[in-house]
Amino acid sequence: MLLLGTLSLHAQSFVDQAQVSGSFQTDAQYYRLDQGIGITDLNGKKLGINGFGKINYTYGDFSAGMRFEAFLPELNGFRRELNGVGLANFFATYDNGFVGVTVGDIYDQFGSGLVFRTYEEWSLGMDNALRGVRTVIRPAQGLTFKGVYGRQRYFWAPYLEREFEIDDYRGIVRGIDGEWDLNQSIPAMHNAEFKMSLGGSFVSKKQYDMSLFYYIPENVGAAAGRVNLAYGRFAFTTEYAYKINDPSAINNYIYKEGQALMSSLSYSQKGLGVVLQVKRTDNMSFKSMYTGLQNDLDINFIPPINYTHTHSLPSMYTYSTQPNGEMAAQFQVNYTIPKGTALGGKYGTKLAFNMSQVNDIVRDSVLDHGQMVINKKGTLGYTSNFFSVSDHRFFRDINFEIDKKIDKDWHVTAQYINLYYDIETIEGHAGAPAVEANIGFLDVTYKINKRQSLRFELQGLWEKEVKKGYAYDESEKKDYQKRGDWAFGLLEYTITPHWSFSIADKWNYGNPVPEFRDHYFTGTVSYIHDATRIMLSGGRQSEGVVCVGGVCRTVPASSGVTLTVSTSF
Amino acid sequence: MKTIRSFFVFAALMLAVSSCDKIDINNIHKPYTPSGGGKTVLIKDFTGVRCVNCPGAAEAAHELQHNLGEDRVFIMSVHAGYLATPVGSFPDFRTEEGTLWYNDNSSNPLFSVDYEALNVGNALNEGQLDASLTTALTEPQTFEIFIVNNYDEETRELKVESEVTAASDYLGQLYVTVCLLEDSIVGRQVVPGGVDTAYVFRNVFRGTLNGATGDVYSDGQVYVNDDYIYKYNTQLDSTYNADQCYILTYIYDKSLNGKILQTAMEKIK
Repeated sequence: MLLLGTLSLHAQSFVDQAQVSGSFQTDAQYYRLDQGIGITDLNGKKLGINGFGKINYTYGDFSAGMRFEAFLPELNGFRRELNGVGLANFFATYDNGFVGVTVGDIYDQFGSGLVFRTYEEWSLGMDNALRGVRTVIRPAQGLTFKGVYGRQRYFWAPYLEREFEIDDYRGIVRGIDGEWDLNQSIPAMHNAEFKMSLGGSFVSKKQYDMSLFYYIPENVGAAAGRVNLAYGRFAFTTEYAYKINDPSAINNYIYKEGQALMSSLSYSQKGLGVVLQVKRTDNMSFKSMYTGLQNDLDINFIPPINYTHTHSLPSMYTYSTQPNGEMAAQFQVNYTIPKGTALGGKYGTKLAFNMSQVNDIVRDSVLDHGQMVINKKGTLGYTSNFFSVSDHRFFRDINFEIDKKIDKDWHVTAQYINLYYDIETIEGHAGAPAVEANIGFLDVTYKINKRQSLRFELQGLWEKEVKKGYAYDESEKKDYQKRGDWAFGLLEYTITPHWSFSIADKWNYGNPVPEFRDHYFTGTVSYIHDATRIMLSGGRQSEGVVCVGGVCRTVPASSGVTLTVSTSF
Repeated sequence: MKTIRSFFVFAALMLAVSSCDKIDINNIHKPYTPSGGGKTVLIKDFTGVRCVNCPGAAEAAHELQHNLGEDRVFIMSVHAGYLATPVGSFPDFRTEEGTLWYNDNSSNPLFSVDYEALNVGNALNEGQLDASLTTALTEPQTFEIFIVNNYDEETRELKVESEVTAASDYLGQLYVTVCLLEDSIVGRQVVPGGVDTAYVFRNVFRGTLNGATGDVYSDGQVYVNDDYIYKYNTQLDSTYNADQCYILTYIYDKSLNGKILQTAMEKIK
């Protein structure tokens, strides 16, 4: 009886003292034929629905959670392999501060992710969770060790055995990471202005050699070391990663080692922030299935160092990280002209300048059976001087932004962007000339009264090359579907805290192919109630790419109605 | 505390030592010895005349076929999808059956290895062919196929007999499909850097003699030496070059997501 009573009390507290949180989202699109933008066939798909529900439970040192997903069928532009429904993710964790153990699906990152990062990004339909075990041990203050072991999610493929029937050759991923925060560990440094932490990781995949012609390494290891330093207003972080031979479909089965280096130096004070970042990656795609392409089964993550644009036209040409090699640099300055000055006015004026550029690395030939070759299958591939930069430019973005609150009713943001985008490399449009464009926008908000406001956007994109009227082959028309000059206008009326109405038009008026000079009208109504948002929009969506953190998916042009319902608790 | 640190250092060292296979750069290539079995494999290459990456991928597939044996690996070029839609003077190789097998995919080139159609999970890229062929070629042979063609040059009438024999007992939903292929057609194809006006199209799928899904072989148990002969008569299109035409026959199991069990190919004359 006593035992039953104790159990009952425990069970009661498991309910009463627990915290439960969660979120739900459904994105549904109804598609219709639209001859005007070339949609003459829906391929039998009138409706696409992506949805998920996520619930997390926490009770003291214990937490557990699950995510249910449904793609019935998946929205256009998402991978077809997502089609299905089921429990995509679940986990249970016990962490008492000294030791933490997680079983189930693990999302984690070592350092900046150069050798290990698992994450889920709903807008990309991407999830590379590791199903297995993670152990975290903190043996002393400032010292953390982590170990992970498992197999990655591959759409809905089962985890138990290799499923050759569906060409699933996933390997096993295992990794360890250690981090030492000197300021926490050493009492004399607790309050020091100089801050330092060191870290190191090692990750290995065990894969299956399925090749008929090449010896594929069954164990591929990657290691990384990192240092974070800060002194006063300055901060410096750097990480270097190295990977042994890892022939794969991505690198054309070459046996060269991979390397990556990322460094960031920043300075900040009130009203001023300066950041300089540099990055070099060489053959650093690291997947738990060597035959994988696109974003399948990435074990690591190569962070982009480019400005993230959020407005419609500037975000049309977003850079997608090139895993086979790139040299990149970014410089950003944020400055606020103080309040009360002639230029700062009553509220101050925010200025931002950003420049980022990405070039290819230099590749030199290697000797193969008496011939000099570059990137030939079944060879070392190439050699590359670590500090040399190729003339082949992938991307450049120079932008300047002013953000100004003029008075209590008016707020203006304006930005100018000068863009270079190698569409052939980034989007695979072979032979298409690079996009060289000037882009500008004006985003103005007018507060009508305490509850109502109006916002309008005017945007323009002017592409240089198109004005010269270059020739295109009839067969390559599709490569020019979004090329040339664009104009965009939006008007949004908001009644806080619930309603928002907007109409917009995106017009490709300067497309070199006359039949592609289309209007993309949209109308949107959204309603917000506490943490619930319902949004209904109708109209056309232009072809483009959606990128999050340098990882992208292509969005085909569509026409129809979209409904999004999301809520959280 | 020291024990824990020592444990992690030891674990790290063990992991590092046991987790890296460095391949000797002078010993990358495996000596390929074909397995003794008679299992054949069909690669369906879903391609398009306006697909710039397709010629390179087709070349890679043919290189694999050449290395593995042209009597064991067959390639059928199925033109389907947006990039197979011709404009101007580009040739139109699309077929009803090919479009059905393509199954509303949105890109080219795509391959299937021993599957009758592109389904979720079996659409492959060029880099995945090698590994899939490894698996397919090591599977046991369950059927044998013999093709006898009779072609009348004057009337262009073609009589086809495909004999399918069970090499072992088998339980499944079996269908046999008989296809007509034409090799070495010259025409316009988009290639990197422009258009090749004299591109040689290999093993172009021209259509089936018995529909996209073929004819039923058995809907249940099959016993060793069970034997069926499929006979078809057709008139060869006047634009086809009879010297370069082939009949390709395969048997597949619908209950295994359309898995092809055996393939054979014969010239029509």
